[in-house]
Amino acid sequence: MLGQELSETGKRLFRDFPILRMLWESGRKKGLRETIALIEKAEEFNRTFAVPRALELDMRMEREPEYFDWDIMREACKYRFLSIFIPKQLGGIAGEFMVTNTSLLMDELCSGCSGIALAVGAHSLGVAPVITSGAMAHWDTVLKEIVEGELKRQPVTMAYAITEPSAGTDVEEPEYLERAKLSLEAKKVKGGYVLNGRKCFISDGSEAKYFTVCAALDRNRPLQTWTTFLVERDMEGFSTPRVELKMGQRASHAAELLFEDVFVPDSHVLGYEGDGMGNGILMIMAASRGPVGSIATGIARGALQHFLSWAKTKRNGKRPIDEDRIRMNLADMWGMIQENRGLYMSNAMLGDAIFGKALDNPVMNLTLSLPSSLRTMPLMRNFLNSYYGKAMINAVLRFYIKDEDMTQLLETASLAKFSCADNAMELCSRALSIMGPEDSEERRWVEKCYRDAKLTQIYEGTNQLNRMVVNNIRFEETLRVEVPRPFKKGVMA
Amino acid sequence: MIGVPWAKESKQYAVLRSNALNFAASELAPMADDLENTVDSPLFWKAVEKAGEMGMLAALVPEQLGGEGVDLYSLCVALEESAVECAGFAAALLFHNAALVPLVYSDRKDLVEEFTGGKPLCTVATAGELALEEGRVRGSAPFVFNVLEGTVALLFAAAGDGRTAAYVKMGTEGVETRVDPYPLGWRVSNFATLEMKDARPVFVLDKSGKEALAATERTLYLGLAAIANGIVRKAFQKAYDYARQRYQAGKIIIEHQAMRLMLARMLCAMEEGRAVIRRACGSEELGPAIIAWRRAGANACQAAMDGVQIHGGYGYMRDYGMERLMRDAKYCQMFPRPEEEQLLRLLDMAESGS
Repeated sequence: MLGQELSETGKRLFRDFPILRMLWESGRKKGLRETIALIEKAEEFNRTFAVPRALELDMRMEREPEYFDWDIMREACKYRFLSIFIPKQLGGIAGEFMVTNTSLLMDELCSGCSGIALAVGAHSLGVAPVITSGAMAHWDTVLKEIVEGELKRQPVTMAYAITEPSAGTDVEEPEYLERAKLSLEAKKVKGGYVLNGRKCFISDGSEAKYFTVCAALDRNRPLQTWTTFLVERDMEGFSTPRVELKMGQRASHAAELLFEDVFVPDSHVLGYEGDGMGNGILMIMAASRGPVGSIATGIARGALQHFLSWAKTKRNGKRPIDEDRIRMNLADMWGMIQENRGLYMSNAMLGDAIFGKALDNPVMNLTLSLPSSLRTMPLMRNFLNSYYGKAMINAVLRFYIKDEDMTQLLETASLAKFSCADNAMELCSRALSIMGPEDSEERRWVEKCYRDAKLTQIYEGTNQLNRMVVNNIRFEETLRVEVPRPFKKGVMA
Repeated sequence: MIGVPWAKESKQYAVLRSNALNFAASELAPMADDLENTVDSPLFWKAVEKAGEMGMLAALVPEQLGGEGVDLYSLCVALEESAVECAGFAAALLFHNAALVPLVYSDRKDLVEEFTGGKPLCTVATAGELALEEGRVRGSAPFVFNVLEGTVALLFAAAGDGRTAAYVKMGTEGVETRVDPYPLGWRVSNFATLEMKDARPVFVLDKSGKEALAATERTLYLGLAAIANGIVRKAFQKAYDYARQRYQAGKIIIEHQAMRLMLARMLCAMEEGRAVIRRACGSEELGPAIIAWRRAGANACQAAMDGVQIHGGYGYMRDYGMERLMRDAKYCQMFPRPEEEQLLRLLDMAESGS
């Protein structure tokens, strides 16, 4: 009976993720149908678009690091991958399984080409702070523009900028941020802020139209003044002077952002001044490190697919898979992938349990059901951008998002991130060692996976940082995500 | 200086090491990245010429046959030092030198002169499936380095019940090459698969072939181990220097225990690599050479990966020189044969007493 209702993709997902079947049997069919449909789209995207061009594009990006294949984003529009994190009430496709779907989508896309997948996924990382900060004043402008552009296949993309030239790990953990050597600084001026300095290694940085940018108002008190800004590419003084030549995941750019007296108006502060760590980075990391685990898993799965294809191909009358050692290695590799999936799915489902209610509740639904024209009226926009407007939205979010939940989410995310990345690296490395000197398409693919996988041990906080986060939350209880308390005096200081 | 193994060497090797390191620093270091991006470049040939002046071409060939007549450990020393700056170039030198080994056993001074007189380097093909039948070579061999018009390749091939080796010249009838457009590492010279369609060899090893093949293999495994150890040293040096200047989490990162542990493992790997190579060079057996290759290759992969990790985002970017080590290291482990296959072979060798 189950089989009759499900497509082949659905059957595969239920086989690979028994927990999805449990949800199905528990009556969550509507949401899961959306999940299955999304993964079907991802399969088609890989089959018809990403896989046929991945190796060639990877080579081209080495010769021309500044080239960007906009067809990636246009094709992503076709499948609506750019609004994976935008709630349905705003025209996006994020539903009750928003985080789970994002994780599964990245797993699937990365099994084709993680560079192309990153170009798509990094955009959602840029979108996330606009959602989680409750910056409703921008939901009807920026997010709507993304959705409308997507429907017209004219991609409008975002990027999230945290890393600075002298501070990578430091800007992702409160204790370290206090002592970070920062480059970027935002100075308060009348009507807004002036930003000066640099960000580096920003995924999608050279393509995005909008940036969510973290900056200190006082570099001597970075933690207390860490603030998230919405920056627009055409703001005067903003530029992206450099694109890196990466070892892997090349289809997506890692760019440097340069801020030279960039004026950002008050209305473009996401959340409150000074809540850029607790309400900003930590909340985003709690939602994004799990999907990085799924990126690593997708890369590993891609490597396994190519390795399996190699193992089943006859050479001089023999197939590698006929040897015990190859069969045992295959089982080990599958074990690594399923171990990864257990970890990132734990994080994803917890994420949906938390964010689902925050974004889909009577108050939020009522607010979002108001005509867009009403919400975008200057009076309303001014209110939403005001202290009380932000406090009201935050009060709603706060009602559903508890400190202990976010702390647990961050722990599961960090655990998934480093474990999945290490497993992916091990799997790709082992596959190459076993294949040895092979002249085959499969070896070239696995070599690409090997290069791609390494980045998952580095970005979204190095694996060392993520290990410290898990320790600090789980064993020493020294790290706790604090969602800002609305109406609390001093929160705007 | 940090990064130089504790194990002391005799003066002869210390001098050789110093000279080779100077060669690597002056000739290879400034152009390692350019070498990688432009195959068969004038830069490459300039470095080859300098290597020739240093006695690194035909190093193992006795003087009476026109070579340098140094021992295998000396070649390993030169390769390790070269690999510190450019593992791909060191690999090119290794394959050239290894390809000449059988000529020593055949006492063919004329062929030494012929094979080393022209511009292209020689090479060796050990992987793939090649067969010698009725004086012709058939089949294909992947992962062959130094492949250019005129290159002479030593091909390991099945012949009757056993195996032999034959020299075949690129560009002659029945010899086709398919250049790999995008190899992971060692990207300083053409990397190709050879297709032999009834190719006529220049020379086929005679009955001394078995011994010559074993010596060639031993040279390959130990040379690769030495190159791998060069990569470990470079990874350590770069990571150590970076860790002393990068500030993170309230202190320079070399003060973080996680970083110190990674660096300490690299230090152990250097010592370990040097020790297994020396030990294997002191033996005429193939087994210790395979063991040295296996250990040093795994160490190089780990050290390069840790080196990238210590550099964080910078390690992943081409301009900072770390990611090349990671790509080159992997080929030291994947070539000339898959690791597990060689492990099984080691046990077979031990059981048969060979």
